[in-house]
Amino acid sequence: MICPLAHFEEVYKTDHGAVYQCSRQNCYWLDFAGGTTAFKVSDFFNFKKKVDAVDISAMIIDSSRTADFTIIMPFRTPRCFVLDINAVLNLRELLAGAKFMIELNSVVNECLNVTPDRAFRPQTTNH
Amino acid sequence: MKDLLRLKTSLNEEIEKILNEQIKVEAHSSSIYLAMSSWCDDQGYDFSADFFAKQSEEERTHMLKLFNYVNDRGGRAISPEIVNIPADFESFRGVFEQMLEQEMYVTQQFNNIADKCMKVKDFVTFQFIQWFLEEQIEEEYVARRILEMFDVIGEEGTGRWEIDKHIPKVSYEG
Repeated sequence: MICPLAHFEEVYKTDHGAVYQCSRQNCYWLDFAGGTTAFKVSDFFNFKKKVDAVDISAMIIDSSRTADFTIIMPFRTPRCFVLDINAVLNLRELLAGAKFMIELNSVVNECLNVTPDRAFRPQTTNH
Repeated sequence: MKDLLRLKTSLNEEIEKILNEQIKVEAHSSSIYLAMSSWCDDQGYDFSADFFAKQSEEERTHMLKLFNYVNDRGGRAISPEIVNIPADFESFRGVFEQMLEQEMYVTQQFNNIADKCMKVKDFVTFQFIQWFLEEQIEEEYVARRILEMFDVIGEEGTGRWEIDKHIPKVSYEG
């Protein structure tokens, strides 16, 4: 369950899960396979790299039973992801979409020259 | 929506990746020069052994400069894994030829970083690597000058001893 104090906004959603952003705690929540996990910004991108690095071809070719699943245990989370090939592909799709939206948000912010309310913004005077 | 990504890091993902690759290149250079120092020492080229030991230290300093920059800008610098460092070299001249090749490769890598910085408009990193680009002029000059000594002095007789003695005197005045 996502923290009730969290102020979260949807980043990206698929049929298999969703990624939310909590702007109060500056973290991302991953809702996937019946569980939710909070990630710090850098941890989230590291987790994506780990999921992207899973060798799907090797999982398919290897006929041993242990090759049907891969285990990813991200640091600083209580969760252990046990993923079959379908789950890896679904998670990849979700994380890739989320990453795109996060980067798009950065670009949009940059284009709009949005500054946070609390940041210093020089006053302009009209003569 | 609040921009968490930029709050965490000012480095573009591609720039962070290419800088981490360069950290590895610098660490690799440092290890190769240390191996060359050891080989020169073993062969009795004392001055060259000192020269390469200093070069190795310098490359490590370069690596740390890049390393700290990545971390300071909010990125994650990765401590590189260094493998395939040779323990033996073909000849005294060959060692310096390899040094020049290594420096030319490093220059090429920094040119690629500069190109990437321009493409993504990261002028802060572009400014940062100017120091390295200038440094490369000296590195290549020194390696070329030393190689030229092999032709000027010649390797016959006490030639290699003479060359070794002159190695510390090669410097770039800029």
